[in-house]
Amino acid sequence: MSDQQPVTIGSGDPKVIKGQRVLGVVPGKPAAGEEKRPADDEMAMVWPHLLVRHAVAALAVLLLVLVLAVLFDAPLKEIANPTVTPNPEKAPWYFVALQELLAHFHPLVAGVLVPGAIIIGLVALPYIDRTAFHDPKYRKVAVYTFTAFMVLWIVLTIIGFAFRGPNWAWVWPWEEWHGEL
Amino acid sequence: MTIIDRFKKSTVGKSIVRNPDRKTPRDRAAGHWSNFFLHIYPVKVPKREIGFRYSWYLGVASAVLFGSLIASGIYLMFFYVPSPAQAYTDIQTIQTDVAFGQYVRNVHRWSAHLMVIAVAAHMARVFYRGAYKSPKEFNWVIGVVLLVLTLLLSFTGYLLPWDQLAYWAITVGTSMAGYVPYIGDTVQEILVGGTTVSSSTLIRFYVLHVAVLPAAVVLTLAVHLWRWRKDSMLTSEGSPDE
Repeated sequence: MSDQQPVTIGSGDPKVIKGQRVLGVVPGKPAAGEEKRPADDEMAMVWPHLLVRHAVAALAVLLLVLVLAVLFDAPLKEIANPTVTPNPEKAPWYFVALQELLAHFHPLVAGVLVPGAIIIGLVALPYIDRTAFHDPKYRKVAVYTFTAFMVLWIVLTIIGFAFRGPNWAWVWPWEEWHGEL
Repeated sequence: MTIIDRFKKSTVGKSIVRNPDRKTPRDRAAGHWSNFFLHIYPVKVPKREIGFRYSWYLGVASAVLFGSLIASGIYLMFFYVPSPAQAYTDIQTIQTDVAFGQYVRNVHRWSAHLMVIAVAAHMARVFYRGAYKSPKEFNWVIGVVLLVLTLLLSFTGYLLPWDQLAYWAITVGTSMAGYVPYIGDTVQEILVGGTTVSSSTLIRFYVLHVAVLPAAVVLTLAVHLWRWRKDSMLTSEGSPDE
């Protein structure tokens, strides 16, 4: 609000912001906008301050697992049969982005170069990005590159997981469901 | 005085619990140092690093899920034989006849999927916070190793139920190794133990899944946490005590 230009109405009137009216003026600090942030060198004892937070986080995770395990049973299909190939055959969901790439590129690219480049890229990242800045707003190149690849990967995973049917043809997941967990 | 306090004051109690009562920060630090289970933690961390907004607790979540997987996995091992003749019926028996069998299998399955997500998300969070910067570069590399180990653990476990889903997912997955020039076919053959997924694949994946890879994760995770603790203490350097 403070960066809006005050508009003066008439002469000698108090400064009024267009579309706003002043209900009152109180002394002291602003009621909102001031954030409490600990100083960089302010330390906290791990016991108990960090441990209690980790304990709560652990309980939250275990609760999520418990709820999922009660609500959804792990899948079990027919016994393995090397003579009957299911259509589509799908890799586990975390590899399905690679399988999706395999449908568009030469196997050498999708199956070897891309996963190899991902691993090497991740390993090399801290040695490429040598600036001292930690804050994302001073690391725009790194942040945009990483985000672009991450979004691409997530999109490929979702497509491969839910939008691919028999013969790896496009399907709409609300019409035919072929995702497997 | 509670019964625990009285026990701590006794001769036997003093021999077991050696830390002082945690009244001052100094006592707390001493108690922290004398506790085996807390030795993976630093004594103090920067205050701005303990809140949800800093880490989203994704590293803790990954570790907790790993613990859940070990606990549920050991239980399942009692009822499972890794052979094509028995594996599938063992899973059926676990689901129908073993006490809490279906539930424990569900816990194992969903914990595994969640762990892949948690580890990946942990990595993304560390990236956006710039926490891989000097002097923590190599701990990021160790984190990449842990990500790969997590994927391999999940992938080897995927075969064990020996159903159609498992069999063909592993067939697709391992065929990717075959695309590596020159050594691809050999790598695939070593991985699968032949030309097609068979009983030798099952026993290989089982041994990797229950022994080799978990041991590798425990060791790598120990180094990961040890370096994290050392680096946390680095930032605490020069801060006033008490």
